[in-house]
Amino acid sequence: MKPENTIEVKNITKSFKVYLDKGRTLKELALFSKRRRFENRRVLDDVSFEVQKGEAIALIGHNGCGKSTTLKLLTKIMYPDTGTIEMRGRVSSLIELGAGFHPDMSGRENIYINASIFGLTKKEIDARLDDIIDFSELWDFIDNPVRTYSSGMYMRLAFAVAINVNADILLIDEILAVGDANFQAKCYERMQELKASGVTIVLVTHDMNTVKTFCSKAVWINKGKVVTQGKSADVVDTYLSYMNEQRIALINEERRRHAEKEQKTEEPKAVIEKKEYKSLTMDPTAKHYGNQKAVIRKCELLNCEGKPVEAIASDEVFYLRFEYELNEPLDELVFGMGIFNADGLWICGTNTQLAGVTVDTRGRSSGTLIFESTPLWLLGGRFTLQCSIIEADSTPCDYYNEYMKFTVVGKWRESGIIHYETKWYEQ
Amino acid sequence: MNIFKELYAYREMIFSLVHRDLKGRYKGSVLGFAWTFLNPLLQLAVYTMVFSIILRNNIKDFYLFLFVALVPWIFFNTCITGGAGCIRAQGDMIKKIYFPREVIPVSFVTSQFVNMCLSLLVVFAALLLAGYPLRLSALIWMPVVMVIEYFVALGMTFLVSGVTVYWRDVEYFMGIIGMAWQFATPVMYGLEQVPERLVPFFRLNPMTPVIVAYRDILYYGRAPQMETLLSAVIFGVVIVAVGYMVFRHLKKHFAEEL
Repeated sequence: MKPENTIEVKNITKSFKVYLDKGRTLKELALFSKRRRFENRRVLDDVSFEVQKGEAIALIGHNGCGKSTTLKLLTKIMYPDTGTIEMRGRVSSLIELGAGFHPDMSGRENIYINASIFGLTKKEIDARLDDIIDFSELWDFIDNPVRTYSSGMYMRLAFAVAINVNADILLIDEILAVGDANFQAKCYERMQELKASGVTIVLVTHDMNTVKTFCSKAVWINKGKVVTQGKSADVVDTYLSYMNEQRIALINEERRRHAEKEQKTEEPKAVIEKKEYKSLTMDPTAKHYGNQKAVIRKCELLNCEGKPVEAIASDEVFYLRFEYELNEPLDELVFGMGIFNADGLWICGTNTQLAGVTVDTRGRSSGTLIFESTPLWLLGGRFTLQCSIIEADSTPCDYYNEYMKFTVVGKWRESGIIHYETKWYEQ
Repeated sequence: MNIFKELYAYREMIFSLVHRDLKGRYKGSVLGFAWTFLNPLLQLAVYTMVFSIILRNNIKDFYLFLFVALVPWIFFNTCITGGAGCIRAQGDMIKKIYFPREVIPVSFVTSQFVNMCLSLLVVFAALLLAGYPLRLSALIWMPVVMVIEYFVALGMTFLVSGVTVYWRDVEYFMGIIGMAWQFATPVMYGLEQVPERLVPFFRLNPMTPVIVAYRDILYYGRAPQMETLLSAVIFGVVIVAVGYMVFRHLKKHFAEEL
């Protein structure tokens, strides 16, 4: 072990036996011996990293990637199949808060029980008791049974104990969501203090902001393997853009399946709709309205590669593809689009007339039109697409206020609606 | 050797788990901690009624003869039957936090042990009331026998609690084992009543010398025989060693099995 390191994890692997059908009774053992098949699921595969004294490191990755398992191996709750873990100093884990709390005992008694599970002796607990009570802010309730506590009070007490165990290494699993905003700030401050005093911290969290600001290093684990590790800001950026891609792909996949299902079931419906389109409705509250002289057969959202999608990246161009049909001959059509956010706020909107484009439809009965847009630079969320065909004199032919909903995935951590490029300088 | 150091470091945890168990056990009941004494007292009352009125036999004060052996036996029996599930019962803690796993069986057995000590106070009181002299020359051996029994029980608890994590049936099986074991141990009868040819088998039972020693000290008011003590010590050491070895091997995968 290198002298500057407090944690050295070398090439650890860990597999779990996952029973496809876990029969444990004698009957099942005797009758269905074949059913007892299991697969060895490898949760960690050749994971290595080092942490220096006083350093804060974050383990990041999506759910089930193996980061919590890594933490469990570090705490010695479990042992790796191969590889070694070396640690120097007293380890305290904030994985399970309030371990061993007895509801009928007072807060004070539970402090003793809980702290003792962290390996503190009575003397050590006596010395910390006031600090713990102060930190938990439960002065008036400390002699009441814990069962009378609210869940916030319970967590505060538990966190106060865990963070006052003077450890050399602190392992924290997604627990910053404790208590109200003030208490969170206090926990955060205490963690800063501990870090400054030379405590090594390993943090598992989904809050990338904390990772960037609190940790100097980050390890990104995916499917049990370390994808990349290094400076936390760099790792977080790589991770977030990967996650965005994943999310877009997932949403689009979902939509594709959904569409497939609908295609199968919606055949007879098309007949009904054909009947319907002859009726002239001018009611703006209908799904679509207009004189139906021209109709939108289909309006598709296409991503930058021209593939029909349901989600687009906020920093990429996208397209709308209008397929239309004319029921009566018209000389000119005006195509329009608009985007509304979830609160109904009109974000943007334009049409061919405003853009100075003339769509000549003389002698045509159908056609396709492409609308191209620069990146939206929206911060992300669900949006509604409005699309319409109107006559040159603004009479609506086929007007959809809510044609479809779509998702915009943005990668920025900002507030508001739009993203724009900013820089901060110190003067 | 490391385990002693670690258990010592976690002594406060053992202490508070025992404390929690003893204090929490009767919490919410009207009589509270008094149940610790009431329980053996009422048992004694029942045995006295049954054996001095209905099931009479020619052993003098049979209820006391039985009771001095029954209290230590109940301690042991609780350890092997109730103790089997002690790791499982603390599953949440084991899955989520590190501490030496041995702490749980140790505190379970210790808590039962303290309970037995309190019950023994009732036994002492009953013996004095019945006019039995408590001789110092005999009582001096009491702690020795108790410590030996503690370790026999601890070894067994290590073994069964560890195995139960992997094979839950053991927990239920131990209920029957405990009952059969009681009849195979001279609790309700004296070793001298056992047919001569069966005695060697009784000697293989680690609880035989322990129970015999308790009865010697409390009922007969005499120091136990060296031979009895020696075999008890040997059994104690072997059982603790085997039990701990098995436990140490099994504990590595507790978190995954639970």
